[in-house]
Amino acid sequence: MENLFDLSLINSTIRMMAPLLLAGLGGAICARVGIFNVGLDGLMLIAAFIGVAANVFTNNIWISILLAIIGTMLFSLLFGYMIIHLKANMIVTGIALNFLAIGVTTFALRTIFGVQGAYYNNEMVGLPTWRIPIIDDIPVVGNLLSGQSPVVYLGIIATIGMYIFLKKSVLGSHYDAVGINQVAAKSQGVKIKTIQYQAIIISGILCALGGVQLSLGQVTMFSENMTGGRGFIALVATMLGQSNPIGVFLAGGLFGFTEAISIRLQGLNIPTNFTLMLPYVITILAMFVFKDRTQLSAMKNSQGSSR
Amino acid sequence: MNKIKMHISGIIQPLIAIFVGLAVGTIAILLAGESIINTYREMWNGAFGSIYFLSNTLERSIPIILAGLGVAFAFRAGFFNLGAEGQLVMGAVTTAIVTVYLPFQGVLNPIVAITAGMLVAGLLSFFAGWMEQRFQINLLISTLLLNYIAVLFAGYLVSEPFRDTSSAGGVPQSVMVDEASRLPKLLEGMNVHFGFVLAIILTFVLAFVIKRTTFGYEVRMLGQNVFFAQYGGIKRKKVMFISMLISGMLAGLGGSVEVMGMHYRFIEGALTTPQFAWTGLMAALLANSNPIGTTVIAIFLAALDTGSLGVERNTDVPNAISDIIQAVLILFISAKFTFAFIKSKKKEGKK
Repeated sequence: MENLFDLSLINSTIRMMAPLLLAGLGGAICARVGIFNVGLDGLMLIAAFIGVAANVFTNNIWISILLAIIGTMLFSLLFGYMIIHLKANMIVTGIALNFLAIGVTTFALRTIFGVQGAYYNNEMVGLPTWRIPIIDDIPVVGNLLSGQSPVVYLGIIATIGMYIFLKKSVLGSHYDAVGINQVAAKSQGVKIKTIQYQAIIISGILCALGGVQLSLGQVTMFSENMTGGRGFIALVATMLGQSNPIGVFLAGGLFGFTEAISIRLQGLNIPTNFTLMLPYVITILAMFVFKDRTQLSAMKNSQGSSR
Repeated sequence: MNKIKMHISGIIQPLIAIFVGLAVGTIAILLAGESIINTYREMWNGAFGSIYFLSNTLERSIPIILAGLGVAFAFRAGFFNLGAEGQLVMGAVTTAIVTVYLPFQGVLNPIVAITAGMLVAGLLSFFAGWMEQRFQINLLISTLLLNYIAVLFAGYLVSEPFRDTSSAGGVPQSVMVDEASRLPKLLEGMNVHFGFVLAIILTFVLAFVIKRTTFGYEVRMLGQNVFFAQYGGIKRKKVMFISMLISGMLAGLGGSVEVMGMHYRFIEGALTTPQFAWTGLMAALLANSNPIGTTVIAIFLAALDTGSLGVERNTDVPNAISDIIQAVLILFISAKFTFAFIKSKKKEGKK
């Protein structure tokens, strides 16, 4: 077991959890205002593609990230318009959004780049790794926390920022009010639609960052349906963490950790499929420990909108 | 008068959706640089162009219908079963393994193998229901996570212990089903098989059960209002277990007949890549969990799929166009547009 657990395991945990954490936070902010966002996967996929496509044409990583964020925001606005203004069922819309993302990205991949399956390009500029000056010099922690992509740090900052925002700010309490009881919130003059749109746009931005980390973080490539259901895992992290940023961080960490371990285990004599199963099994077991309460209001709303 | 208006708005909504879907499809075709009329003709031909293509469309609709019916039934009772994909795959892989290891071939073999597949798939969804009942574990999450576990487990079964080693390399797959045990095709030389008949029969059976039986009434009541149903003496636990079991069995049947009637073996990814289960789920939700509506929409979505495969064969437009058109259709059908005369009706009600 000596070679199974070491510091690089934690390092890869942090790296793997970043996209899950970001998308999970996006799901959490939506859940806080009573929106059950099943479209996280589609949002990530769109961002992953725009990131790669913009990268090829501009060769500038920052412009790529910016374009990915803008594109994904527009996409999430469509989702918002559908469920807030047109009162469409959240789950149907979310799943349709995932389909749309798969369709649009696959279609664009074949028409723009003329390839099927996956697109590699060595010319692309991936996300840089940042060395953080002070932390880098601390013996053990330095190797862990430093030298990750900026998106990873953004994930940590977003967690803390969202926690403070929801706990301490007036607007944050309005978010909770909308999620808990829309009628009561409305009677207090809280603008429900505006707040729900804000939450959806924020979740779009967060998913965009997660998607960019997927396609430009470790490897610079795009493959059809490359999120591979990560958006759904993020959704699980949202629920497991009870829509609380710190909880989502821990749930995402748990998932990243098991994913990192399952990659380690592939060297041993265990069939790959079982090691790949590990994160999902552990998550189900974790569900027994952490009961979910907050998501119920979001679910009730989504059931209501289906009638 | 109001009834007519209701009907008109009921028709207008899908028509608008289809129009917008085709408009978006047209934009996509233009971007791909193809002729619009030609592409849509290919799409029509690929879906209904001849008896052969029609049979392809109907064949493709089988797993979509059955998965959709499963989701619809659970949803009627107020339970969201997102696990159709895992149930479909477990049903398929169980059937593929059982049929090979049964000591007899012939008519009885597929019956036993398919039943086994349905049972395993039903137990999978039952397990999720049991966890919800016993430990309050959110059904959405448990069914979703069980999907991944089921798909990976099925993949393991056909890549290690039950792999067909006669063909070298390639995709992991199980041993071929014996010729005598295969589900018959409905037409000689066509793809559509007996599973389609089963799917249609089950559609009407479900419609009957939901509308005309005591259990169906309990399911409907529970789905509409849990508290009222329990006040009326309906046992949530019992109804939930049965409806989840049936839900999983239906999805499993979709996988089983696909194995016995179409592929004649379980091929890893053959049932997950075309997104059968998710398409079925959308059909169920769009039809408001009405069994007959679910089946009709499932056939329509299958036609879009086979049509776009035809488009891909004969033009430069990739078949991803079907995903795009489907998604746009669904977005616009599920959206509740408020028409002017519906608003005026509300005002009348206020008098």
